[in-house]
Amino acid sequence: MALRDRYYEHQRPILGTVSVIGFFLLWEWLLTSVVTVDPFFLTQPSKVAAAAKELFLGGAIWQDLAVSSKAFLWGFSAAVIVGIPTGVFMGWRRRAEYTLDPFFTALYASPLVALAPLLIIIFGVGLTGKVVLVFLLAVFPFIFNAFAGVKSTDRLLVNVVRSFGGKEKDIYWKVILPSILPYMVAGARIAIGRGIVGIIVGEFYAASEGIGFAISRFGDTYRLPEMFAAILVLMILAVVFTEGLRKLENVLAPWKIGQEAR
Amino acid sequence: MVPCIQASDVTLTFRPKDREAVTAINGLTLEVARGEFVSIVGPSGCGKSTFLNVLLGLLKPDKGEIQLNGKRISGPGEERAMVFQEFGLLPWRTVLANVELGLELKGVAADTRRKRARGLIELVGLTAFENHYPHELSGGMKQRVGLARALVTEPEVLLMDEPFAALDAQTRDLMQTELLQIWDRAKKTVIFVTHSIEEAAYLSDRVVIMSARPGKVKEVLRIGLPRPREYEMRLSPGFNEIKSRIWSTLKEELVTRIGGDGAQR
Ligand SMILES: Nc1ncnc2c1ncn2[C@@H]1O[C@H](COP(=O)(O)OP(=O)(O)OP(=O)(O)O)[C@@H](O)[C@H]1O
Ligand SMILES: [Mg+2]
Repeated sequence: MALRDRYYEHQRPILGTVSVIGFFLLWEWLLTSVVTVDPFFLTQPSKVAAAAKELFLGGAIWQDLAVSSKAFLWGFSAAVIVGIPTGVFMGWRRRAEYTLDPFFTALYASPLVALAPLLIIIFGVGLTGKVVLVFLLAVFPFIFNAFAGVKSTDRLLVNVVRSFGGKEKDIYWKVILPSILPYMVAGARIAIGRGIVGIIVGEFYAASEGIGFAISRFGDTYRLPEMFAAILVLMILAVVFTEGLRKLENVLAPWKIGQEAR
Repeated sequence: MVPCIQASDVTLTFRPKDREAVTAINGLTLEVARGEFVSIVGPSGCGKSTFLNVLLGLLKPDKGEIQLNGKRISGPGEERAMVFQEFGLLPWRTVLANVELGLELKGVAADTRRKRARGLIELVGLTAFENHYPHELSGGMKQRVGLARALVTEPEVLLMDEPFAALDAQTRDLMQTELLQIWDRAKKTVIFVTHSIEEAAYLSDRVVIMSARPGKVKEVLRIGLPRPREYEMRLSPGFNEIKSRIWSTLKEELVTRIGGDGAQR
Protein backbone atom coordinates (compact mmCIF):
# COMPACT_ATOMS: atom_id res chain seq x y z
CA MET A 1 0.00 0.00 0.00
CA ALA A 2 2.71 2.44 1.03
CA LEU A 3 4.72 1.58 -2.05
CA ARG A 4 1.69 2.18 -4.17
CA ASP A 5 1.12 5.61 -2.64
CA ARG A 6 4.75 6.44 -3.25
CA TYR A 7 4.31 5.40 -6.85
CA TYR A 8 1.28 7.63 -7.38
CA GLU A 9 3.12 10.51 -5.82
CA HIS A 10 5.90 10.28 -8.40
CA GLN A 11 3.88 8.80 -11.22
CA ARG A 12 4.93 11.38 -13.75
CA PRO A 13 8.76 11.08 -13.51
CA ILE A 14 8.58 7.30 -13.12
CA LEU A 15 6.49 6.70 -16.23
CA GLY A 16 8.52 9.27 -18.16
CA THR A 17 11.84 7.63 -17.28
CA VAL A 18 10.56 4.15 -18.03
CA SER A 19 9.39 5.17 -21.49
CA VAL A 20 12.65 6.91 -22.39
CA ILE A 21 14.88 4.10 -21.14
CA GLY A 22 12.61 1.56 -22.77
CA PHE A 23 12.94 3.34 -26.08
CA PHE A 24 16.74 3.28 -25.98
CA LEU A 25 16.86 -0.33 -24.89
CA LEU A 26 14.56 -1.27 -27.76
CA TRP A 27 16.70 0.65 -30.20
CA GLU A 28 19.89 -0.99 -28.93
CA TRP A 29 18.36 -4.45 -28.98
CA LEU A 30 16.85 -4.06 -32.46
CA LEU A 31 20.14 -2.98 -33.98
CA THR A 32 22.31 -5.54 -32.23
CA SER A 33 20.16 -8.67 -32.23
CA VAL A 34 17.31 -8.34 -34.68
CA VAL A 35 18.36 -6.46 -37.78
CA THR A 36 21.94 -5.86 -38.65
CA VAL A 37 22.23 -2.61 -40.47
CA ASP A 38 25.29 -1.19 -42.03
CA PRO A 39 26.80 1.05 -39.29
CA PHE A 40 27.19 3.49 -42.10
CA PHE A 41 23.52 4.43 -41.81
CA LEU A 42 22.43 3.73 -38.28
CA THR A 43 24.04 3.27 -34.96
CA GLN A 44 23.29 2.00 -31.48
CA PRO A 45 22.64 4.11 -28.39
CA SER A 46 25.69 2.63 -26.66
CA LYS A 47 27.96 3.98 -29.38
CA VAL A 48 26.16 7.31 -29.31
CA ALA A 49 26.65 7.49 -25.57
CA ALA A 50 30.33 6.79 -25.94
CA ALA A 51 30.60 9.50 -28.57
CA ALA A 52 28.66 11.93 -26.41
CA LYS A 53 30.99 11.27 -23.51
CA GLU A 54 33.94 11.92 -25.75
CA LEU A 55 32.44 15.14 -27.07
CA PHE A 56 31.72 16.52 -23.63
CA LEU A 57 34.97 15.45 -22.02
CA GLY A 58 36.96 16.55 -25.04
CA GLY A 59 35.31 19.93 -24.63
CA ALA A 60 34.66 20.49 -28.31
CA ILE A 61 30.90 20.57 -27.97
CA TRP A 62 30.76 23.21 -25.23
CA GLN A 63 31.87 25.98 -27.53
CA ASP A 64 29.28 24.94 -30.13
CA LEU A 65 26.63 24.78 -27.46
CA ALA A 66 27.45 28.26 -26.21
CA VAL A 67 27.33 29.73 -29.70
CA SER A 68 23.99 28.14 -30.55
CA SER A 69 22.42 28.91 -27.19
CA LYS A 70 23.33 32.54 -27.47
CA ALA A 71 21.61 32.89 -30.84
CA PHE A 72 18.64 30.95 -29.56
CA LEU A 73 18.20 33.01 -26.41
CA TRP A 74 18.44 36.34 -28.21
CA GLY A 75 15.98 35.31 -30.90
CA PHE A 76 13.62 33.69 -28.44
CA SER A 77 13.63 36.66 -26.06
CA ALA A 78 12.92 39.02 -28.92
CA ALA A 79 10.03 36.75 -29.95
CA VAL A 80 8.56 36.95 -26.45
CA ILE A 81 8.96 40.70 -26.19
CA VAL A 82 7.48 41.40 -29.61
CA GLY A 83 5.05 38.50 -29.90
CA ILE A 84 3.04 38.84 -26.70
CA PRO A 85 2.18 42.55 -26.95
CA THR A 86 1.40 42.16 -30.65
CA GLY A 87 -0.94 39.25 -30.02
CA VAL A 88 -2.64 40.98 -27.10
CA PHE A 89 -3.14 44.12 -29.15
CA MET A 90 -4.54 42.10 -32.02
CA GLY A 91 -6.92 40.30 -29.70
CA TRP A 92 -8.14 43.41 -27.92
CA ARG A 93 -8.50 45.81 -30.84
CA ARG A 94 -10.70 44.53 -33.60
CA ARG A 95 -9.17 46.85 -36.18
CA ALA A 96 -5.69 45.60 -35.37
CA GLU A 97 -6.96 42.06 -35.83
CA TYR A 98 -8.49 42.73 -39.23
CA THR A 99 -5.37 44.54 -40.41
CA LEU A 100 -2.67 42.20 -39.16
CA ASP A 101 -4.28 38.79 -39.24
CA PRO A 102 -3.89 38.07 -42.98
CA PHE A 103 -0.15 38.74 -42.90
CA PHE A 104 0.55 36.81 -39.77
CA THR A 105 -1.55 33.85 -40.80
CA ALA A 106 0.27 33.62 -44.11
CA LEU A 107 3.67 33.96 -42.47
CA TYR A 108 2.89 31.47 -39.72
CA ALA A 109 1.76 28.90 -42.25
CA SER A 110 4.70 29.32 -44.62
CA PRO A 111 8.03 27.54 -44.22
CA LEU A 112 10.06 30.51 -43.03
CA VAL A 113 13.22 28.43 -42.85
CA ALA A 114 13.31 28.86 -46.61
CA LEU A 115 14.35 32.41 -45.92
CA ALA A 116 17.57 31.23 -44.29
CA PRO A 117 19.81 31.76 -47.34
CA LEU A 118 18.40 35.24 -47.84
CA LEU A 119 18.90 36.18 -44.20
CA ILE A 120 22.48 34.99 -44.38
CA ILE A 121 23.08 37.11 -47.44
CA ILE A 122 21.63 40.11 -45.63
CA PHE A 123 23.09 39.61 -42.16
CA GLY A 124 26.16 37.49 -42.83
CA VAL A 125 27.15 34.22 -41.25
CA GLY A 126 27.48 35.57 -37.72
CA LEU A 127 25.09 35.78 -34.85
CA THR A 128 22.60 38.26 -36.32
CA GLY A 129 21.31 36.11 -39.16
CA LYS A 130 20.61 33.21 -36.81
CA VAL A 131 18.94 35.46 -34.25
CA VAL A 132 16.65 36.87 -36.92
CA LEU A 133 15.77 33.40 -38.15
CA VAL A 134 14.99 32.15 -34.64
CA PHE A 135 12.94 35.26 -34.01
CA LEU A 136 10.92 34.83 -37.20
CA LEU A 137 10.15 31.23 -36.41
CA ALA A 138 9.41 31.70 -32.72
CA VAL A 139 7.41 34.91 -32.79
CA PHE A 140 4.25 33.57 -34.42
CA PRO A 141 3.31 31.01 -31.78
CA PHE A 142 3.48 33.84 -29.27
CA ILE A 143 1.40 36.17 -31.39
CA PHE A 144 -1.30 33.63 -32.12
CA ASN A 145 -1.46 32.18 -28.65
CA ALA A 146 -1.65 35.61 -27.04
CA PHE A 147 -4.37 36.44 -29.53
CA ALA A 148 -6.35 33.30 -28.72
CA GLY A 149 -5.84 33.93 -25.02
CA VAL A 150 -7.25 37.42 -25.24
CA LYS A 151 -10.21 36.18 -27.27
CA SER A 152 -11.05 33.65 -24.59
CA THR A 153 -10.73 36.12 -21.73
CA ASP A 154 -13.86 36.09 -19.60
CA ARG A 155 -15.85 39.25 -20.41
CA LEU A 156 -17.44 39.15 -16.99
CA LEU A 157 -14.04 39.64 -15.34
CA VAL A 158 -13.30 42.57 -17.61
CA ASN A 159 -16.62 44.07 -16.58
CA VAL A 160 -15.94 43.44 -12.91
CA VAL A 161 -12.64 45.31 -13.05
CA ARG A 162 -14.22 48.08 -15.04
CA SER A 163 -17.10 48.39 -12.60
CA PHE A 164 -14.72 48.89 -9.70
CA GLY A 165 -13.09 51.76 -11.53
CA GLY A 166 -10.47 49.86 -13.56
CA LYS A 167 -9.03 51.66 -16.56
CA GLU A 168 -7.71 50.16 -19.81
CA LYS A 169 -4.31 49.64 -18.19
CA ASP A 170 -5.84 47.76 -15.24
CA ILE A 171 -7.73 45.49 -17.61
CA TYR A 172 -4.49 44.60 -19.37
CA TRP A 173 -2.55 43.91 -16.20
CA LYS A 174 -5.17 42.47 -13.88
CA VAL A 175 -7.33 40.47 -16.29
CA ILE A 176 -5.83 39.89 -19.71
CA LEU A 177 -2.28 39.07 -18.72
CA PRO A 178 -3.10 36.50 -16.04
CA SER A 179 -5.72 34.87 -18.21
CA ILE A 180 -3.43 34.46 -21.24
CA LEU A 181 -0.60 33.00 -19.19
CA PRO A 182 -1.46 29.34 -19.85
CA TYR A 183 -1.73 30.17 -23.54
CA MET A 184 1.73 31.73 -23.41
CA VAL A 185 3.21 28.58 -21.92
CA ALA A 186 1.63 26.51 -24.68
CA GLY A 187 2.93 28.99 -27.25
CA ALA A 188 6.42 28.90 -25.78
CA ARG A 189 6.46 25.12 -26.06
CA ILE A 190 5.85 25.34 -29.81
CA ALA A 191 8.23 28.27 -30.15
CA ILE A 192 11.08 26.33 -28.53
CA GLY A 193 10.80 23.63 -31.15
CA ARG A 194 10.62 26.09 -34.01
CA GLY A 195 13.46 28.17 -32.62
CA ILE A 196 15.74 25.16 -32.46
CA VAL A 197 14.92 24.38 -36.07
CA GLY A 198 15.93 27.97 -36.85
CA ILE A 199 19.31 27.55 -35.19
CA ILE A 200 20.11 24.30 -36.93
CA VAL A 201 19.06 25.43 -40.37
CA GLY A 202 20.94 28.68 -39.92
CA GLU A 203 24.07 26.80 -38.99
CA PHE A 204 23.65 24.23 -41.74
CA TYR A 205 23.76 26.92 -44.36
CA ALA A 206 26.74 28.89 -43.33
CA ALA A 207 28.57 28.79 -40.06
CA SER A 208 31.88 27.77 -38.64
CA GLU A 209 30.65 26.80 -35.20
CA GLY A 210 27.48 25.87 -33.33
CA ILE A 211 25.58 22.65 -32.80
CA GLY A 212 24.02 22.79 -36.24
CA PHE A 213 27.44 23.15 -37.79
CA ALA A 214 28.69 20.24 -35.68
CA ILE A 215 25.83 18.05 -36.85
CA SER A 216 26.41 18.79 -40.49
CA ARG A 217 30.18 18.37 -40.12
CA PHE A 218 29.82 14.96 -38.45
CA GLY A 219 27.26 13.98 -41.03
CA ASP A 220 29.49 14.99 -43.90
CA THR A 221 32.35 12.96 -42.50
CA TYR A 222 30.16 9.93 -41.74
CA ARG A 223 30.76 10.05 -38.01
CA LEU A 224 27.28 8.88 -37.13
CA PRO A 225 27.69 8.29 -33.37
CA GLU A 226 29.01 11.83 -32.99
CA MET A 227 26.25 13.20 -35.14
CA PHE A 228 23.59 11.47 -33.08
CA ALA A 229 25.32 12.66 -29.92
CA ALA A 230 25.06 16.24 -31.13
CA ILE A 231 21.38 15.72 -31.95
CA LEU A 232 20.93 14.25 -28.50
CA VAL A 233 22.38 17.41 -27.02
CA LEU A 234 19.70 19.38 -28.83
CA MET A 235 16.98 17.12 -27.57
CA ILE A 236 18.23 17.51 -24.04
CA LEU A 237 18.32 21.25 -24.50
CA ALA A 238 14.71 21.30 -25.70
CA VAL A 239 13.59 19.14 -22.79
CA VAL A 240 15.41 21.34 -20.29
CA PHE A 241 13.78 24.47 -21.70
CA THR A 242 10.33 22.88 -21.70
CA GLU A 243 10.71 21.62 -18.14
CA GLY A 244 11.97 25.04 -17.06
CA LEU A 245 8.84 26.45 -18.59
CA ARG A 246 6.66 24.13 -16.55
CA LYS A 247 8.46 25.20 -13.38
CA LEU A 248 8.09 28.83 -14.37
CA GLU A 249 4.38 28.35 -14.93
CA ASN A 250 3.99 26.96 -11.44
CA VAL A 251 5.75 29.99 -10.02
CA LEU A 252 3.82 32.51 -12.10
CA ALA A 253 0.46 30.79 -11.86
CA PRO A 254 0.11 29.25 -8.41
CA TRP A 255 -3.67 29.21 -8.78
CA LYS A 256 -3.32 26.54 -11.47
CA ILE A 257 -1.60 24.03 -9.23
CA GLY A 258 -3.99 21.33 -8.12
CA GLN A 259 -6.52 22.42 -10.69
CA GLU A 260 -4.97 20.33 -13.42
CA ALA A 261 -6.87 17.17 -14.35
CA ARG A 262 -5.29 13.98 -13.04
CA MET B 1 -35.80 66.22 -2.98
CA VAL B 2 -34.11 64.53 -5.93
CA PRO B 3 -34.52 60.77 -5.76
CA CYS B 4 -31.30 58.83 -5.51
CA ILE B 5 -32.01 56.81 -8.62
CA GLN B 6 -34.34 57.85 -11.37
CA ALA B 7 -34.73 55.50 -14.31
CA SER B 8 -36.90 56.86 -17.07
CA ASP B 9 -38.12 54.87 -20.02
CA VAL B 10 -34.98 52.71 -20.13
CA THR B 11 -34.89 50.49 -23.21
CA LEU B 12 -32.09 48.19 -24.23
CA THR B 13 -31.81 45.74 -27.09
CA PHE B 14 -29.00 43.23 -27.43
CA ARG B 15 -27.89 42.73 -31.01
CA PRO B 16 -25.63 39.70 -31.03
CA LYS B 17 -23.82 39.01 -34.27
CA ASP B 18 -25.52 36.37 -36.45
CA ARG B 19 -28.45 36.09 -34.08
CA GLU B 20 -31.80 37.67 -33.55
CA ALA B 21 -31.89 40.89 -31.59
CA VAL B 22 -33.36 40.59 -28.08
CA THR B 23 -35.03 43.51 -26.39
CA ALA B 24 -34.21 42.84 -22.77
CA ILE B 25 -35.89 45.86 -21.20
CA ASN B 26 -38.44 48.14 -22.74
CA GLY B 27 -39.57 51.40 -21.18
CA LEU B 28 -38.52 50.68 -17.62
CA THR B 29 -39.31 53.57 -15.30
CA LEU B 30 -38.47 53.52 -11.60
CA GLU B 31 -37.57 55.92 -8.83
CA VAL B 32 -35.65 54.93 -5.76
CA ALA B 33 -35.23 57.23 -2.77
CA ARG B 34 -31.96 57.68 -0.95
CA GLY B 35 -31.52 55.00 1.68
CA GLU B 36 -34.30 52.89 0.31
CA PHE B 37 -34.17 49.11 0.06
CA VAL B 38 -35.84 48.01 -3.16
CA SER B 39 -36.11 44.43 -4.40
CA ILE B 40 -36.76 43.42 -7.96
CA VAL B 41 -38.48 40.14 -8.80
CA GLY B 42 -39.48 38.90 -12.21
CA PRO B 43 -39.39 35.87 -14.45
CA SER B 44 -36.03 34.53 -15.54
CA GLY B 45 -34.70 36.42 -18.55
CA CYS B 46 -36.92 39.46 -18.03
CA GLY B 47 -33.95 41.82 -17.92
CA LYS B 48 -33.17 42.22 -14.21
CA SER B 49 -29.44 41.72 -14.61
CA THR B 50 -29.50 43.90 -17.69
CA PHE B 51 -31.12 46.69 -15.71
CA LEU B 52 -28.50 46.40 -12.97
CA ASN B 53 -25.75 46.53 -15.57
CA VAL B 54 -27.20 49.74 -16.93
CA LEU B 55 -27.31 51.11 -13.39
CA LEU B 56 -23.71 50.08 -12.91
CA GLY B 57 -22.75 51.91 -16.10
CA LEU B 58 -21.53 48.86 -18.02
CA LEU B 59 -24.36 48.93 -20.55
CA LYS B 60 -25.77 51.98 -22.30
CA PRO B 61 -29.52 52.07 -22.91
CA ASP B 62 -30.74 52.59 -26.47
CA LYS B 63 -33.45 54.85 -25.20
CA GLY B 64 -34.17 56.61 -21.91
CA GLU B 65 -31.66 57.24 -19.18
CA ILE B 66 -30.89 56.68 -15.54
CA GLN B 67 -29.97 59.52 -13.24
CA LEU B 68 -28.05 59.08 -10.06
CA ASN B 69 -28.37 61.99 -7.64
CA GLY B 70 -29.60 64.09 -10.52
CA LYS B 71 -26.72 63.23 -12.86
CA ARG B 72 -27.02 60.95 -15.86
CA ILE B 73 -25.12 57.67 -15.46
CA SER B 74 -22.57 57.36 -18.25
CA GLY B 75 -20.16 54.80 -16.81
CA PRO B 76 -19.07 53.06 -13.64
CA GLY B 77 -18.46 55.17 -10.56
CA GLU B 78 -17.18 54.55 -7.08
CA GLU B 79 -20.48 55.41 -5.43
CA ARG B 80 -21.90 52.17 -6.88
CA ALA B 81 -20.83 48.56 -6.51
CA MET B 82 -22.33 45.30 -7.71
CA VAL B 83 -22.55 41.82 -6.29
CA PHE B 84 -22.52 39.83 -9.52
CA GLN B 85 -24.90 36.98 -10.18
CA GLU B 86 -22.08 34.81 -11.54
CA PHE B 87 -19.65 35.94 -8.84
CA GLY B 88 -16.98 37.22 -11.24
CA LEU B 89 -14.06 36.41 -8.95
CA LEU B 90 -10.61 36.62 -10.49
CA PRO B 91 -9.35 33.00 -10.50
CA TRP B 92 -5.72 34.08 -10.06
CA ARG B 93 -6.41 36.00 -6.90
CA THR B 94 -6.86 34.67 -3.41
CA VAL B 95 -9.99 35.55 -1.46
CA LEU B 96 -8.13 38.41 0.22
CA ALA B 97 -6.79 39.81 -3.05
CA ASN B 98 -10.21 39.51 -4.66
CA VAL B 99 -11.82 41.49 -1.87
CA GLU B 100 -9.08 44.10 -2.09
CA LEU B 101 -9.68 44.69 -5.81
CA GLY B 102 -11.89 47.78 -5.55
CA LEU B 103 -9.62 49.49 -3.03
CA GLU B 104 -6.56 48.63 -5.08
CA LEU B 105 -8.10 50.23 -8.16
CA LYS B 106 -8.87 53.31 -6.10
CA GLY B 107 -5.23 53.51 -5.09
CA VAL B 108 -5.70 52.79 -1.38
CA ALA B 109 -2.44 51.92 0.40
CA ALA B 110 -1.69 48.21 0.77
CA ASP B 111 -1.90 47.94 4.56
CA THR B 112 -5.13 49.94 4.80
CA ARG B 113 -6.85 47.89 2.15
CA ARG B 114 -5.65 44.64 3.70
CA LYS B 115 -7.13 45.66 7.03
CA ARG B 116 -10.45 46.69 5.55
CA ALA B 117 -10.66 43.61 3.37
CA ARG B 118 -9.96 41.36 6.37
CA GLY B 119 -12.77 43.05 8.28
CA LEU B 120 -15.28 42.18 5.57
CA ILE B 121 -13.95 38.69 5.07
CA GLU B 122 -14.60 38.16 8.76
CA LEU B 123 -18.10 39.57 8.38
CA VAL B 124 -18.94 37.02 5.70
CA GLY B 125 -17.33 34.28 7.76
CA LEU B 126 -14.41 33.38 5.49
CA THR B 127 -11.40 34.31 7.62
CA ALA B 128 -10.07 30.76 7.48
CA PHE B 129 -10.16 30.91 3.68
CA GLU B 130 -8.56 34.26 2.96
CA ASN B 131 -5.58 32.65 1.22
CA HIS B 132 -7.63 30.23 -0.83
CA TYR B 133 -8.20 30.58 -4.55
CA PRO B 134 -11.76 30.74 -5.92
CA HIS B 135 -11.62 27.22 -7.39
CA GLU B 136 -11.10 25.92 -3.87
CA LEU B 137 -14.35 27.44 -2.61
CA SER B 138 -17.94 26.27 -2.71
CA GLY B 139 -20.55 28.25 -4.63
CA GLY B 140 -21.90 29.82 -1.48
CA MET B 141 -18.43 30.83 -0.35
CA LYS B 142 -17.69 32.45 -3.69
CA GLN B 143 -20.88 34.40 -3.42
CA ARG B 144 -19.88 35.71 0.00
CA VAL B 145 -16.51 36.79 -1.40
CA GLY B 146 -18.41 38.73 -4.06
CA LEU B 147 -20.48 40.33 -1.31
CA ALA B 148 -17.40 41.31 0.70
CA ARG B 149 -15.75 42.69 -2.42
CA ALA B 150 -18.70 44.98 -3.11
CA LEU B 151 -19.06 46.13 0.49
CA VAL B 152 -15.40 46.91 1.08
CA THR B 153 -15.48 49.98 -1.15
CA GLU B 154 -18.34 51.37 0.97
CA PRO B 155 -20.54 52.32 -1.97
CA GLU B 156 -23.51 54.57 -1.48
CA VAL B 157 -25.57 52.41 -3.82
CA LEU B 158 -25.34 48.65 -3.56
CA LEU B 159 -26.54 46.65 -6.56
CA MET B 160 -27.12 43.02 -5.71
CA ASP B 161 -27.89 40.43 -8.36
CA GLU B 162 -29.32 37.37 -6.60
CA PRO B 163 -26.55 37.67 -4.04
CA PHE B 164 -27.79 34.90 -1.78
CA ALA B 165 -29.01 32.43 -4.42
CA ALA B 166 -26.11 30.02 -3.90
CA LEU B 167 -26.25 30.05 -0.10
CA ASP B 168 -27.71 27.37 2.12
CA ALA B 169 -30.81 28.40 4.06
CA GLN B 170 -29.01 29.09 7.35
CA THR B 171 -26.17 31.12 5.87
CA ARG B 172 -28.75 32.96 3.85
CA ASP B 173 -30.66 33.98 6.98
CA LEU B 174 -27.40 35.12 8.58
CA MET B 175 -26.37 37.13 5.55
CA GLN B 176 -29.80 38.75 5.30
CA THR B 177 -29.51 39.93 8.88
CA GLU B 178 -25.98 41.24 8.28
CA LEU B 179 -27.10 43.04 5.14
CA LEU B 180 -29.99 44.73 6.93
CA GLN B 181 -27.63 45.88 9.66
CA ILE B 182 -25.11 47.28 7.20
CA TRP B 183 -27.88 48.95 5.26
CA ASP B 184 -29.30 50.50 8.41
CA ARG B 185 -25.96 51.56 9.83
CA ALA B 186 -24.41 52.96 6.65
CA LYS B 187 -27.65 54.33 5.15
CA LYS B 188 -27.08 52.71 1.80
CA THR B 189 -29.46 52.56 -1.10
CA VAL B 190 -29.91 48.92 -2.09
CA ILE B 191 -31.31 47.45 -5.30
CA PHE B 192 -31.71 43.77 -4.68
CA VAL B 193 -32.62 41.25 -7.38
CA THR B 194 -33.96 37.93 -6.15
CA HIS B 195 -36.13 35.02 -7.16
CA SER B 196 -37.26 34.50 -3.58
CA ILE B 197 -40.54 36.25 -2.86
CA GLU B 198 -40.00 35.67 0.84
CA GLU B 199 -36.60 37.30 0.77
CA ALA B 200 -37.89 40.28 -1.20
CA ALA B 201 -40.77 40.81 1.19
CA TYR B 202 -38.66 40.40 4.30
CA LEU B 203 -35.84 42.77 3.32
CA SER B 204 -37.44 45.52 1.30
CA ASP B 205 -39.23 48.82 1.64
CA ARG B 206 -40.71 48.20 -1.78
CA VAL B 207 -40.83 45.22 -4.11
CA VAL B 208 -40.78 45.83 -7.85
CA ILE B 209 -42.41 43.13 -9.94
CA MET B 210 -41.21 43.09 -13.52
CA SER B 211 -43.11 41.81 -16.51
CA ALA B 212 -41.79 39.05 -18.73
CA ARG B 213 -39.29 40.03 -21.41
CA PRO B 214 -39.03 42.70 -22.63
CA GLY B 215 -39.00 43.73 -19.00
CA LYS B 216 -40.67 46.75 -17.54
CA VAL B 217 -42.15 47.58 -14.16
CA LYS B 218 -45.45 45.77 -13.81
CA GLU B 219 -46.26 46.64 -10.25
CA VAL B 220 -44.61 48.14 -7.19
CA LEU B 221 -45.65 46.98 -3.74
CA ARG B 222 -44.81 48.87 -0.58
CA ILE B 223 -44.02 46.55 2.31
CA GLY B 224 -45.55 48.02 5.42
CA LEU B 225 -43.72 45.86 7.94
CA PRO B 226 -42.05 47.84 10.72
CA ARG B 227 -38.26 48.25 10.99
CA PRO B 228 -36.07 46.77 12.20
CA ARG B 229 -37.29 43.56 10.67
CA GLU B 230 -37.35 40.58 12.96
CA TYR B 231 -37.09 37.01 11.87
CA GLU B 232 -40.42 36.22 13.58
CA MET B 233 -42.25 38.61 11.27
CA ARG B 234 -42.01 35.96 8.59
CA LEU B 235 -44.41 33.84 10.58
CA SER B 236 -47.14 36.48 10.84
CA PRO B 237 -50.36 36.32 8.79
CA GLY B 238 -49.59 39.82 7.45
CA PHE B 239 -46.36 38.54 5.93
CA ASN B 240 -48.14 35.69 4.21
CA GLU B 241 -50.63 38.16 2.84
CA ILE B 242 -47.78 40.21 1.29
CA LYS B 243 -46.20 37.10 -0.15
CA SER B 244 -49.37 35.94 -1.80
CA ARG B 245 -49.94 39.36 -3.34
CA ILE B 246 -46.48 39.34 -4.88
CA TRP B 247 -46.97 35.77 -6.03
CA SER B 248 -50.30 36.37 -7.71
CA THR B 249 -48.88 39.27 -9.75
CA LEU B 250 -45.76 37.35 -10.63
CA LYS B 251 -47.68 34.23 -11.60
CA GLU B 252 -49.43 35.98 -14.49
CA GLU B 253 -46.00 36.84 -15.92
CA LEU B 254 -44.67 33.33 -15.55
CA VAL B 255 -47.63 31.99 -17.48
CA THR B 256 -47.16 34.63 -20.18
CA ARG B 257 -43.48 33.85 -20.47
CA ILE B 258 -43.78 30.12 -20.77
CA GLY B 259 -46.75 30.44 -23.15
CA GLY B 260 -44.94 33.09 -25.20
CA ASP B 261 -41.74 31.13 -25.56
CA GLY B 262 -43.65 28.02 -26.51
CA ALA B 263 -45.54 29.84 -29.26
CA GLN B 264 -42.31 31.15 -30.77
CA ARG B 265 -40.75 27.79 -31.30
N1 LIG C 1 -24.76 39.95 -23.58
C1 LIG C 1 -25.94 39.56 -24.08
N2 LIG C 1 -26.09 39.34 -25.38
C2 LIG C 1 -27.26 38.95 -25.90
N3 LIG C 1 -28.38 38.77 -25.18
C3 LIG C 1 -28.31 38.97 -23.86
C4 LIG C 1 -27.09 39.37 -23.23
N4 LIG C 1 -27.31 39.50 -21.91
C5 LIG C 1 -28.61 39.19 -21.73
N5 LIG C 1 -29.21 38.87 -22.89
C6 LIG C 1 -30.64 38.52 -23.07
O1 LIG C 1 -31.39 39.53 -22.46
C7 LIG C 1 -32.48 38.96 -21.75
C8 LIG C 1 -32.44 39.42 -20.30
O2 LIG C 1 -31.31 38.89 -19.66
P1 LIG C 1 -30.99 39.16 -18.14
O3 LIG C 1 -29.72 38.51 -17.85
O4 LIG C 1 -31.09 40.61 -17.87
O5 LIG C 1 -32.18 38.39 -17.43
P2 LIG C 1 -32.49 38.22 -15.87
O6 LIG C 1 -33.81 38.86 -15.61
O7 LIG C 1 -31.35 38.68 -15.06
O8 LIG C 1 -32.66 36.64 -15.76
P3 LIG C 1 -32.27 35.66 -14.57
O9 LIG C 1 -33.33 35.84 -13.53
O10 LIG C 1 -32.36 34.31 -15.19
O11 LIG C 1 -30.92 36.04 -14.09
C9 LIG C 1 -32.36 37.46 -21.90
O12 LIG C 1 -33.27 37.07 -22.88
C10 LIG C 1 -30.98 37.23 -22.39
O13 LIG C 1 -30.93 36.17 -23.30
MG1 LIG D 1 -29.94 37.76 -13.91
